[in-house]
Amino acid sequence: MKMSEDNDNVDRVDSENCKPDKMFTLKKWNAVAMWSWDVECDTCAICRVQVMDACLRCQAESKKDYYGKQDCVVVWGECNHSFHYCCVSLWVKQNNRCPLCQQEWSIQRMGK
Amino acid sequence: MNRSSTPVSIFGTNKVNLKNFNRSSDMKKIFIKKFRGNPVLPPNYYENTWNKLRDAIISIQNSSILKYSLEELYGDVESMCIHNMSHFLYDNLYYLVENHVGQSVSSFLNDSLNDPQEFLTVINNTWVIHCKQMSTIRNIFIHLDRTYVLHNVQTASIWDMGLDLFRQYIIRNCLVKTKITDALLLLIKQERDANTIDRDLIRSIIRMLTILQIYKPVFEEKFYTESENMYAAEANYCIKNFDLPEYLSHVRKRFKEEYNRGNQYLDSGTMPRLITIIEKNFIADQIQKTLDKGLNKLLDSRDHYNLSLLYLLLGRVKSGHAELCAGFNSYMKQYGRNVVSHPENDKNMVKMLLDFKDAMDDVVAKCFEKNEKFTNSLKEAFEYFINLRINAPAELVAKFIDSKLRIGNKESTDEELEILLDKIMVLFRFIHGKDVFEAFYKKDLAKRLLFGKSASVDYEKSMLSKLKEECGGGFTSKLEGMFKDMELSKDINGAFKQHLSHSLNNTQDTEFTPLDMTVNTLTMGYWPTYPIMNVVLPEEMLRYQEIFNNFYLSKHSGRKLAWQPTLGYCVVRAQFKVGIKELLVSLLQTLVLLLFNGKNELSYEYIKGASNIEDLELKRTLQSLACGKTRVLLKRPKGRDVEDTDYFMYNADFKNKLFRVTVNQIQMKETTEEQKATEERVFQDRQYQIDAAIVRIMKTHKALSHNTLVSELCLQLKFPVTLADLKKRIESLIERDYMERDKEIQNQYNYL
Repeated sequence: MKMSEDNDNVDRVDSENCKPDKMFTLKKWNAVAMWSWDVECDTCAICRVQVMDACLRCQAESKKDYYGKQDCVVVWGECNHSFHYCCVSLWVKQNNRCPLCQQEWSIQRMGK
Repeated sequence: MNRSSTPVSIFGTNKVNLKNFNRSSDMKKIFIKKFRGNPVLPPNYYENTWNKLRDAIISIQNSSILKYSLEELYGDVESMCIHNMSHFLYDNLYYLVENHVGQSVSSFLNDSLNDPQEFLTVINNTWVIHCKQMSTIRNIFIHLDRTYVLHNVQTASIWDMGLDLFRQYIIRNCLVKTKITDALLLLIKQERDANTIDRDLIRSIIRMLTILQIYKPVFEEKFYTESENMYAAEANYCIKNFDLPEYLSHVRKRFKEEYNRGNQYLDSGTMPRLITIIEKNFIADQIQKTLDKGLNKLLDSRDHYNLSLLYLLLGRVKSGHAELCAGFNSYMKQYGRNVVSHPENDKNMVKMLLDFKDAMDDVVAKCFEKNEKFTNSLKEAFEYFINLRINAPAELVAKFIDSKLRIGNKESTDEELEILLDKIMVLFRFIHGKDVFEAFYKKDLAKRLLFGKSASVDYEKSMLSKLKEECGGGFTSKLEGMFKDMELSKDINGAFKQHLSHSLNNTQDTEFTPLDMTVNTLTMGYWPTYPIMNVVLPEEMLRYQEIFNNFYLSKHSGRKLAWQPTLGYCVVRAQFKVGIKELLVSLLQTLVLLLFNGKNELSYEYIKGASNIEDLELKRTLQSLACGKTRVLLKRPKGRDVEDTDYFMYNADFKNKLFRVTVNQIQMKETTEEQKATEERVFQDRQYQIDAAIVRIMKTHKALSHNTLVSELCLQLKFPVTLADLKKRIESLIERDYMERDKEIQNQYNYL
């Protein structure tokens, strides 16, 4: 579907641009982008591991399974501080405050 | 009825017969009369009988015909024994034999018997005849043996008496004895010098010596000395004048000959020591010379036959295999050092090492009986030389794997490739700097995945599982993550295409040019880091980028995307005089090309300003477009290098056989800067690892001397480090107040 659409279009462009005015047309773009968590501080203050990597616990366990870290996501509190979800959920069991600013902890959003 | 009556009737008849018999015995009586007086021997019985026997013995000794039958003589002996004449009989017999043997000795003392062969023949004949005679005599006098000799412990049997006398009179004679020894040794020497001798004669003589129990004193000792002298001289001569294969086959020949000699005529007890003598002279004493002489040459030419022989022969002596192993080891190290330490070999190094490993494995398997000592030595040698140059082998192995995974099964079958990869893993195992390997492997893998250059996912996965097996999941988890990213990207792109066509249908914007856009979204941290570059994208591309951005973030909240212009590539439709061509170009090349739309000539400065590509990268890009093999642009003035003052224009006359032309070779190839950067990154990582290790060790020990710390570090760190590196890191940690120098004890550190 898409391909035929493409070709039609390119042909149209070509016929329009026979004059050497538009010699080059972009047809296909294979782009590369790196994703990372959109966080202010890139280490988790609880386990001291970069939030891009799995937290310490998950690292120790994930050696067993194939793609270890997929489940170790980041979580943002209302205070905008971010931690590993695993780390903070253990933390709030003892103390329901953000370890960095002592505000009451409530989840603003989760990394996905 | 019938049955019971029969025995009765038989019984009845018997009774009758018995009666008849009794009656007849009454009629005739037999009387046995008493013998009156003892029987008396005929007069002169002793003299007569002995004379008879003596005549018989003498004629036996003279080999003349016997007058009496043997049976008669035997009977005479028996009756004499019965009449208590054994003692005289034995003494007389002894005297007769002694007399005869004593006489025959004179025949050996004859001076004319100088030829050893002749002399031994005479001795042998005498001996054979003596045995024969003694055997006949013994048979006649066997009764004497069985009665008299048996009852008198000190008396030797007739046979032994014969041997005893023979020994006493002939062999004990000094002259005869030396003559026998000399003759034997001379003949054996002749045989060793490759002459044919009468082996039966020698065997017979040696048997004689053995039977007479004088084999050891008369022959064996001297034989050993003689062999020792001869072989010592010979070994020295041979090792000097023969090359190794010749020498080996000579030694083997000697062994064969001596074993043969042992089987043919030597006493079996002689063999072990004789073999030891050869082993000592030809092998043990010459080990070093043997190995120095030609081991390397044999290994160079992979001469399996002679290597096996060498192994076999050296195995006979105690330290033989150890010495051979040492020689083997130093040969491998020398070869390896030559390959590894010369950068001009870099191109072929991995191939050379693989071939070398194969060859050496082959040698160990086929020639050295898979001896564990040699297998280990092989490993040790490889590990030694592969790490001689710190980073190069690790890098080259990674590159080699890269090239194989790109080619895939185009050059070889699946199994061959699999075997090859296994072999490379063996080399990999020897490498200490596994982090260097990982860095380069990762970078190459990234390129293969992003540019679709990998021949087959199966090979990639297979390689990955090999690495995982070797180094554990920690080593490969990021590499695995890269594959996962690629798979996820495929799904995302599928969804994005649908999203795109959907939103395009809804838009009224006619300016909007459809573009086939795919995006590889990579997880930061899994992949190598690439320099951030802020280039100016055309509006159209920016729009697409924006659409994707929104699309992606709607699916994955909490993330951010960083676009990597250096990694993207595009297909650009280009209009030339010959017609339309499709150019496969990098994103940066695309940006430059798109600038030429509607323009005739652009200056370097303009391109730089419009694209915002940094100098180095822009020059490379322009060079690839205007100075490479496929010149889509023209440069003014012409030249191989791009200067700041150059002008560029569109090359309308561009020609190429193909419709789809690949221009972005440069992006695929690794530059020296990239290589340096990778090495630098590895180096940086190592610094952190050293720091971490130092802190870890100091934390557990609190106070530690410099030397202990260093040796602990060497144990913990998995990559090669120099002492200077460690010192620098320790200094830096002291500066940063992680630890301090002890104020009193020299060379001691305290953890703070």
